[in-house]
This record gives sequence, C-alpha cells and structure tokens, in this order.
Amino acid sequence: MSAGSTASSVEKSQAAGSRRTALLGSLQKTARLLLGLVVVALVWEGAVRLLGIRPSYLPRLSVILMSMAATPRAYVDGFLRTLAETLIGFVTGGAFGVLTGIVFFRVRALREMIFPIFVVSQTIPVIAFGALVVLWFGNTLLAKAVIAFYLTFFPVTVNTLLGLETVDPRQVALMRSFGASNHQLLLRLQLPTALPQIFVALRLASSLSLVGAIVGEWFGDTTGLGVLLLQAMFTENVVAIWGALLAAALLGTGFYAVVATAERRLVFWGAEQ
Amino acid sequence: MSGATLKSSPLAVQRGILGAVLLVLCWEGLARGLHLPSYVLPAVSEILTGIWSKRALLGEAAGYTLLEALLGYGSGCLIGIGLAVVITMLPALRGVILPAATAINSVPVVGYSPLILLWFGIGVASKMVMVAMAVSFTVFLSTLAGLDRVDRRAVDLMRSFGAGRLSILWRLRLPTALPLLLAGMRVSTVRSVIVAIITEMLGAYGGLGWVIYQAVLQIDFVQVWSAIFVASAASLTFFGLIGLLERKILFWK
Repeated sequence: MSAGSTASSVEKSQAAGSRRTALLGSLQKTARLLLGLVVVALVWEGAVRLLGIRPSYLPRLSVILMSMAATPRAYVDGFLRTLAETLIGFVTGGAFGVLTGIVFFRVRALREMIFPIFVVSQTIPVIAFGALVVLWFGNTLLAKAVIAFYLTFFPVTVNTLLGLETVDPRQVALMRSFGASNHQLLLRLQLPTALPQIFVALRLASSLSLVGAIVGEWFGDTTGLGVLLLQAMFTENVVAIWGALLAAALLGTGFYAVVATAERRLVFWGAEQ
Repeated sequence: MSGATLKSSPLAVQRGILGAVLLVLCWEGLARGLHLPSYVLPAVSEILTGIWSKRALLGEAAGYTLLEALLGYGSGCLIGIGLAVVITMLPALRGVILPAATAINSVPVVGYSPLILLWFGIGVASKMVMVAMAVSFTVFLSTLAGLDRVDRRAVDLMRSFGAGRLSILWRLRLPTALPLLLAGMRVSTVRSVIVAIITEMLGAYGGLGWVIYQAVLQIDFVQVWSAIFVASAASLTFFGLIGLLERKILFWK
C-alpha cells in the first residue's frame, strides 16, 4: 500500500511539475508578447516625436490612448456591438459552411449544381450587397450579422469538402465491415479527419466575419466600430480613426486567438501548428 | 466518390449550367410571380435590360475600377513577393518584418479605408494603396510559404557545386515557390476588385462603387444590381485571366 501511494504521489508531483512548466511557458509567452507590445509603443511614440510626423498623418500613441480613455463609453459600446455581430455571423456562417460541405460531399449532383453559384456569389462586392441586406432586414443587428455570415461561410464550405475528401477509403471500408452506419461514419471518422482543414478555414473566417460586421455598419448604424471609423472620417479626426482601428485590432486578434486556442484543444493530434 | 476533385467533367459542366439556369428561373419567377418591387428584388431580365441601357456609364465605371484594381494588384504582388524574397535572403529581418506585417494585418484591411482616403485623397491613388495592402499580405504569406518549402538537401547540393545565394534563389527557391505564389495571386484577384469597390463607395470620382453608392442614394435598385452584375463579371474575368496565366506558367503541373 505504501509503495502504491508513493508511486501515485510521484505521479502527482510529476503532473504538477509538468503543469508548472506549462504555466511557466505560457507566462513566458505572455511576457514576450507584452514586451513586444511595449517596444512597438515606444518605437511609435519615439518615431512620431523625433521625426516630427504631422499628427494629421500619424498621431502619437499616447494621444490616441488618452482620447480613447476620455470617451470610453463609445468605444466599449462599439466594441461589444461589433463583437455581437461578428460572433453571430461567425457561428451561423461556420455551421452553414460545415453543413453545406457535408451535403456537397454526400450528394455529388447538388455540389455540381450549387457550388459554382457559391463561387460566383463570392465575387459580388459585399458592400453593394450590404445596401440590399440592410434594406431587406432593416437596420438591425441581424442585417450586419447576415453580411458577416455571407463572408464567412464560403471558405468553411470549401475546406470541409476538401477535408472530407481526404478520408482514406480503406478506413471507410473497415468501419463499414464492422457495421457502422452513415451517421457513425460521419461523426467518428470523416469529420475528425476533416477537422484540421475546417479549422484552417475557421481561422480565416474569424477575420472575415469582423470585416463583414464593420462594413455592414457603414449603412447608417448608430453604434459599432465601423460607425466610429466612418464618423471619424467625416470629421477628418485622425486620432479617432486610429482609436477605432486599435479597438478593431484588439477585437480581431482576440477573436483569432480564441479560435486558434480552440483549434489547439480540439485538434490536439494536429502536427501543423 | 473517392478521388473526386473540383476538376470539371462534361457532366459536371452540364449540372453547373443546369444549376445556374434553375437559379435564374427561380429568381425571375419569384420576382415576377410575387410582383416584388424592384427595391426588394428586381427580375433578372429587368437587370439585364438595365445593364444594356446604361452600358456606356457602366462600361466606363468598370474600366475605372479595373484600372485601380490592376494598378493596386500589380504593386501589391510586387511588394508581397519582394518582401518574401528579402526575408529569405536576409533571415535576420524575418523577426522584424513578420510580426510587423501580422500586426498591420490584425485590423481588417477595409478598416484602413477612412484613413487611407484622408491620406491619399479620393482619387485613384487611395484605391491603389488599399488594393495593394489587401493583395500584398496574401501574396507575401503564400510566397514565403513557397520559398520555405524548398528541400534542404537540394540547397546543400547546389551549394556544394558552388552556387551562390542569388542563383539558389533564382534557380531553386523561386521555381519551387511558384505554385503557391501563383495560387496566392489567383486568390487575391477577386479581393482586389472588391476592395477597390468598397473604397470607392466611401469617396471617389468614378467607378463601380461610386455608381452603386449613387444608385443607393437615388433608390434605383435596378442600377445597384446592374453594377453588381458588372462587378461580378469583371472579377470573374480577372480571376480567369490569372488562372489561365497560372496554367501557362506551371506547364509541368
């Protein structure tokens, strides 16, 4: 009993050790990221001061941050609103993309009929489409989400289809010989095989859905980062434009990081990343 | 089912045409059958006659937009390829350029358009810059991936025969990178036209985006759709041309 307990305690301490190194590693990464950000901020501030760049081109970072701090409400509201539109568009677009990918994989005739239309639909300038969507759905959160959805689904469809087609037919034959149903085949073999490809598209889609949300807001909305950008342009307020850009960058990188983390968790066997 | 690629067989082409025809028929039927007002959805025939009657205006606008897109596309490709080559030749710069490019790209490109419009005015220059920004990052990443893909042993072999960095780049790295590079260029074509149009809508003297914006203001939705059709056709042509070029250059594929 004592031997067993020592073994388990050794195991426990080892696990704790590895957890500690993992924690240290992530701390180190965060520290390096913060250091990089500080360096960029210093270079920005220093370059503007030393080179005497006119504030109408590039204002000092401190000025931008101060103006953001002066009116935090607008930025926080805009951030949350745009985040909501981006998320709705991303989730529905991702789900629709995976679903159509599976349908196109199963039914070849449908794929050959509809896939070319999908391709052509992606050449439509989204902003022109935006005017129509706002007309159809009213000037609501839903309209912006639809535009984000429209930009998001296509890469997911393509990569789901590509991923499903890389499944080894011998594995399918093996599972069939054990009596696996279509449903089981899809959930246990085909989707897991396609998952790395799907996530590549989802990472791309995370930034595309943000584009859709921002562009969608250009059609006369009242809150959102896109609105802040447009208002700042009309008043030629470069500081405010940079403020909105920084907020958009924060939203974009944050969302991307979340998707990439989910990828590392779910596709733990993937060697690519 | 297995081994099915996106290559088009005659049957696939037939089905593709069938799909398009069905879509047009449904659209036409829906718009006419339900008497949808043109601000909801004009019929396809209405849009096509709209294009024909405004062909001078739309043609000129399309030419203007394509000019901006092409100028921006060309410079964007050069910048992207150039940066990737510089990074491969001088690896010390990689740690500087790659994070900077990623940071700039963390804001969606269209977000920069208000800033670029203020900086470069509402003429052709601002659209060119926007398109170049949108194109260069994609081309940069795909070129870099291609240049890095080269076989270490092939480099060693060439070096053992006394090849310098430049000749390794020219004879080995660039040809190896070509398929990925061209794929990146092909993907960027559609984007370049779309970005040009988006920037035009925020401020321009002409072009399809400007036409769309004016038509929205005048609530002339047949003209909006006409411009959309023309823009889509222009993008597809551009895409097709680069695809053709790709197949010509990559004759060994």
